[in-house]
Amino acid sequence: MKNSKLMRVLMIMGVVVLSLVLTGPSVVGAKEPLVIGLQAPITGPWAYEGQMAKQSCEIAAQLINQKGGILGGRMIEVRVVDDEGQPKTGALAATKLVGQKDVVAVVSTYGSSVCEPASNIYEKFKKVNIGYGVTAVRLTQRNMKYFFRTCGRDDSQGEFFAKVAKERFNAKRIAIMHDNTAFGKGLAEDTKRGLKQMIDSGKTQIVYYDAITPGEKDFHVLLTELRESKPDLWYFTGYYAEAALLVNQAREIGIKFPFVGGNAAINDEFVKIAGLSVAKGCFMTNEPLPSDLPSTEAKEFLKAYKDKFGEIPSSPWPVYAADALNVIAHAVNESGSTDADVLSDYLRNKANGVPGVTGPIGFTEQGDREGVPFYLYVVDAQGRIVVSK
Amino acid sequence: MKNNTSFKSVRKLTTDKIWLLVVLVLFFVYPFMVSNYYIDVAFFFGIYALLGLSLNIVLGEVGLFDLGHAAFYAIGAYTTAILNTRFGIPIIVLLPVSAFAAGLFAYVVCSPVIHLKGDYLCIVTIGMGEIVRLALLNNPFDLTGGPNGVFGIDFPSFGIFEIDSSIKFYFLIWVVVALGIIGLIQLQHSRIGRAWNCIREDEIAAEANGIDVRYYKLLAFVLGAALAGVAGNIYASKLMIVSPESFSFMESCMLFCIVLIGGMGSIPGVVIGAAAISLFPEIFRPFAMYRMLIFGLVMILMMIFRPGGIWPRKRGVI
Amino acid sequence: MQVIIEQLINGLTIGSFYALIALGYSMVYGVLKLINFAHGDFFTLGSYIGYTILVFGSALVTSHFGLWGGLIAATMVAAISLAIVGILVERSAYRPIYASGRLPAVVSALGASILLQNAIMVIWGPRYQAYPASLIPNIHLHLGGIHITLLQLVILIMSLCLLGILYYVIQKTTFGAAIRATALDRDTAALMGINFNTVILFIFTIGPALGAVTGVMVGSYYRQISFTMGWNYGLKAFTATILGGIGNLPGAMFGGLILGVLEMLGCAYISAAWKDVFVFLILILVLIFRPTGLFGETIAEKV
Repeated sequence: MKNSKLMRVLMIMGVVVLSLVLTGPSVVGAKEPLVIGLQAPITGPWAYEGQMAKQSCEIAAQLINQKGGILGGRMIEVRVVDDEGQPKTGALAATKLVGQKDVVAVVSTYGSSVCEPASNIYEKFKKVNIGYGVTAVRLTQRNMKYFFRTCGRDDSQGEFFAKVAKERFNAKRIAIMHDNTAFGKGLAEDTKRGLKQMIDSGKTQIVYYDAITPGEKDFHVLLTELRESKPDLWYFTGYYAEAALLVNQAREIGIKFPFVGGNAAINDEFVKIAGLSVAKGCFMTNEPLPSDLPSTEAKEFLKAYKDKFGEIPSSPWPVYAADALNVIAHAVNESGSTDADVLSDYLRNKANGVPGVTGPIGFTEQGDREGVPFYLYVVDAQGRIVVSK
Repeated sequence: MKNNTSFKSVRKLTTDKIWLLVVLVLFFVYPFMVSNYYIDVAFFFGIYALLGLSLNIVLGEVGLFDLGHAAFYAIGAYTTAILNTRFGIPIIVLLPVSAFAAGLFAYVVCSPVIHLKGDYLCIVTIGMGEIVRLALLNNPFDLTGGPNGVFGIDFPSFGIFEIDSSIKFYFLIWVVVALGIIGLIQLQHSRIGRAWNCIREDEIAAEANGIDVRYYKLLAFVLGAALAGVAGNIYASKLMIVSPESFSFMESCMLFCIVLIGGMGSIPGVVIGAAAISLFPEIFRPFAMYRMLIFGLVMILMMIFRPGGIWPRKRGVI
Repeated sequence: MQVIIEQLINGLTIGSFYALIALGYSMVYGVLKLINFAHGDFFTLGSYIGYTILVFGSALVTSHFGLWGGLIAATMVAAISLAIVGILVERSAYRPIYASGRLPAVVSALGASILLQNAIMVIWGPRYQAYPASLIPNIHLHLGGIHITLLQLVILIMSLCLLGILYYVIQKTTFGAAIRATALDRDTAALMGINFNTVILFIFTIGPALGAVTGVMVGSYYRQISFTMGWNYGLKAFTATILGGIGNLPGAMFGGLILGVLEMLGCAYISAAWKDVFVFLILILVLIFRPTGLFGETIAEKV
């Protein structure tokens, strides 16, 4: 009896120690490569986005390395840490990356609620971190020195929608539907704010404002209520999976008013799931899609991406990750330093028109991306997503 | 005969003490040997140990089917978050407040349903967990920040000594866990603990013996909730932000597994179960996609080959 | 008035899905007292198998027998596959644990659920899949001003028929009586000559097969499937089972239908965001006033 208990304790301790040792950090490699970290949801509910971001960063690094690398021949190496799309794991991932001295800066991450605790840690340990899929306005209102983002914000998209609702659709009665996620609800709230002026002047009213439960499939009941509230225009700020279901079921019960999705709602998957006859004619407010990016950098990037992975990224966020990596590399090269303060100062004050996949990159005083345009997209008769005229 | 027995037990006592010493030394030395990341892993191990112990009161000691325990954890975390960010109340003061809030919530919610039998209670706890999570998500009265949660939570501080680094949090949580374990051992050996175990074995016989079943069940829930509330408080101040995603039904299921895989009603078992659950994802990180697959398989195999848990409760001892 | 009828049909459609899954759940639960968390994943697996058959077998079947033929083929293959999977899971994950009591069984079931879910993810990928629109019949009807599709009608009728058939089998046939007897008291039933293994065979083939059929129905109705969708349906099915009363199979059916209608009411008249809270609150209230579920349970209490 006593022996078996002893053995048990020994065994357990041995397993614990062994596992910690085995998962311990690997020996620091040679000095040469310049390591840029990537924190992304490789597994978990956003695995799809995270994996595409990883691939984008690899391509971006590959393109830079092919041209000779930076700082006189140093090759860029991307070090990926999975944050599973959860705030707690995000914090752990950030802690892991700050602990690795050879990581110069980090591209992090997708999902505002995951980014927040992570960016707190990067700030505390002085590591430049650039968000690529985080649109919550609040993130750049914290007076942080080391946090930037290459993507746009919810309030600019909300304002754009308000503009579109008035000018393009002449809508008097607007329905806003979100999915109670940090992103979806944030965008819905910002849209409401963007419409405030029109509402106050009596020109428009919001006749429907409610949330779906993500992961659910059946929206007939909710859509019937939507239909009965008789809007002129319907804005959905959630993700494409639910968007496809919503539009399908909406058409089934006879909803005819136009559907506008936020920038997470429409992509190739949406068209595939909804079916062409239903998807045709759906609108979307979006930053420019990869296929619409005019710059030569974009074309080069997309070609390299397609050569390696067989298709171009189907959502806008991965290219922002690539651009985050590009701007870090550029900053390091131009400033000749890997010091976080130097980089932060360069990005904030001197980065102007840095060539990027999504266009020229520059940052505002608070760390936001300067000048992210929005377009109104529409699904055409062939199922392609094109800019609406 | 008598000599043999006493000699054996003396030797056993000494060997136990040596093991305890070894563990204590390792515990103190560990954070100075590894990087921040691994200290944090050990911190979350501590949080799960505390949560496992809190669920153990309800599930292990009394045998009540609680699949919504994350709700108490959430209440503790959010109480701390909201009171700290809105009224600036220090975190350390909020520790007992969060425990109280969670306990009070448990009392109010469980009173009307405590008489329900096993499985019915189970669905009620699941429902309660979901209601709490959805309520936090929907941001009633603009209190909980919705899906974004509440941010900007301070660190705990004892006067000038502030707990603001991974190492300090590591020691904080494990001191709390140690205190918790001492308290729970006392409970186990007390009248209350025996009443609990009696109810678990045979509720009707317990009632027939004069044990106020309703009172003891509620007590278990309230204490379990309070301890989970404490864990919530420490979690909130470590992460500096709380959001509803951390308190899902899956989280409650994981706590359930910690207690069962570790050993129901067994305090060392629960701690080991917490180690297994929190270290498992770390060990299998390289396997990414297959990680959860293996996890499910391990759970099944564990139950087939060792249904009592890794360190089952022995009658009469810890 | 029209809107109310439409909403009612919506609620009943959702409810009939819940009822079908709850039935398979309740059979296992009533007889073995096992909360089969994996049941939701049987449903998901059925949906995915149906998808695979439909898409890859379309050249063979659909082109010869038409769209409905394709659906029927997918349903049958899914049902048979899941009957086999169900027995496999029972033999490997549950049977060794019967002797160990209820709680280890819960953990094992949870493990089986995680295993199946992630196996589906590994095989078919983490992205959402869609039943192709071109392979699903899409005919709209307008009955008295109500918008409805032919598929919706077929599914509703088929669900109610399946429920009816199972109700008949369980309540009116001898074998059904055997199942109910085993649920009531396993040992005495065995003493009465009821073969426990046959009962297990039945519930672990028919239950998962039913889940598979529901999976194909859901797949063709909503057209979108994901490897996590079983979790939500499983939870609702468990709720329906308890709502109806443990061990009470017709109770589980009605519990599912009622749950669907309750969800509809919560969504339409309170708020879509709060509907689940509403449903759980109603459940808790029901249990406070009727502690053995709406229709009472059929298990004797041992003193």
